[in-house]
Amino acid sequence: MTMDCLQFRRIAGADPRQLDAAAQSHAEGCPGCAEHLRQLRALDACILAALEVPVPAPGVAVASPAAPVARLDRRRWFALAASILGGVLVGTLLWVGGPRNSLARDLIEHLGHEPEALVVTQRPEDERVLGKVLERAGIRLRPEMGTVSYANTCVFRGRRVPHLVVQTDGGPVTVMVLRNERPAGPERFDEQGFAGRIVPAGPGSIAVIGAAEADLGPVTTDVLAAVEWL
Amino acid sequence: MNAPLAGKDGEAAFTRLCHELRPDLYRFAFWLARDRSVAEDVVQEALLRAWVSRNSLAEAGAAKPWLLTIVRREHARLYERKRHDTVSVDELVESESAELAAAAEQETTDVRRAILALEDDYREPLVLQVLLGLSTQEIAGQLGLTQAAVLTRLFRARHKLRRALGTVADGETE
Repeated sequence: MTMDCLQFRRIAGADPRQLDAAAQSHAEGCPGCAEHLRQLRALDACILAALEVPVPAPGVAVASPAAPVARLDRRRWFALAASILGGVLVGTLLWVGGPRNSLARDLIEHLGHEPEALVVTQRPEDERVLGKVLERAGIRLRPEMGTVSYANTCVFRGRRVPHLVVQTDGGPVTVMVLRNERPAGPERFDEQGFAGRIVPAGPGSIAVIGAAEADLGPVTTDVLAAVEWL
Repeated sequence: MNAPLAGKDGEAAFTRLCHELRPDLYRFAFWLARDRSVAEDVVQEALLRAWVSRNSLAEAGAAKPWLLTIVRREHARLYERKRHDTVSVDELVESESAELAAAAEQETTDVRRAILALEDDYREPLVLQVLLGLSTQEIAGQLGLTQAAVLTRLFRARHKLRRALGTVADGETE
């Protein structure tokens, strides 16, 4: 039994890319349906273009009437450029040698996933983004914290933790508030190009990580004073 | 894509997979929720659940449909947990399409508006097919429908879009 035009259009309208032999044969012998198929495929190309909405980089605020798309695009390009540079840097540093402490190792590995965070900037993170990250973590920040240039809720060791970056005179410093990681006492590490401190605080600990040989004492003190556990 | 995901190496492979698939997951979540902020929340929660359950994923090749299912469930769960304010479709289309329009051509913007206005039953299988490349059989599995029902919804989705875009010929019936 041959296929009629109505049957063909129902089949093509459901999936214009995958026609069976009978439908293909009908289109070859029917100029009207061939044109209909061409239009459906053109529509599908438009649908695909429409569905491919911009994907925000992790930690980058979505655009809103108060934050125009153009600004988002600049930030995304900046984040992309920083990702490439940061990825090369972090990858090289990770290749040089392995850290002793497994929590430290996991923290350094985590930084490799978000190299765009380690950008020197005086631009503070969007207040709504920062507020959301802090709310999720159940913490507040006092002014002692300084300029937070990056805030994201990250999955770390199977839990959601706030990943913040604070701008200091010595460059950007990463702060991760680890409610569920409680070390026996303060720990330090200086490996793979990173210096870090993990300090018991609240119910868990706070990790402060900067560039190798950075003096993290003052910023660690400020961070410990600034984080308020709710 | 079929590497095992067990052990420490498996954790790293799983993390890489999540990074690779994040754009698809975000876009799927966006077209489910039609809200970029909600989409980000859904993807974050879904990835957290995926991380916790990663041992139940036997091989990387199965990751995409597995993660899409988690995103879909997380989206449904979000709406069970929270009673979101009711927003009319017209308002939603106006707000989201206006935000997305800045970087898009007029034709893309028009199609996007039409997709935003489609009912969930028609929008979701269309997204799964056109954007995520799933077969009719895979879509039927995701949505718990027969393949015939999926084909009907896909046909109607395109017909509604053509009608909204003014490209349905006179006398053409559904």
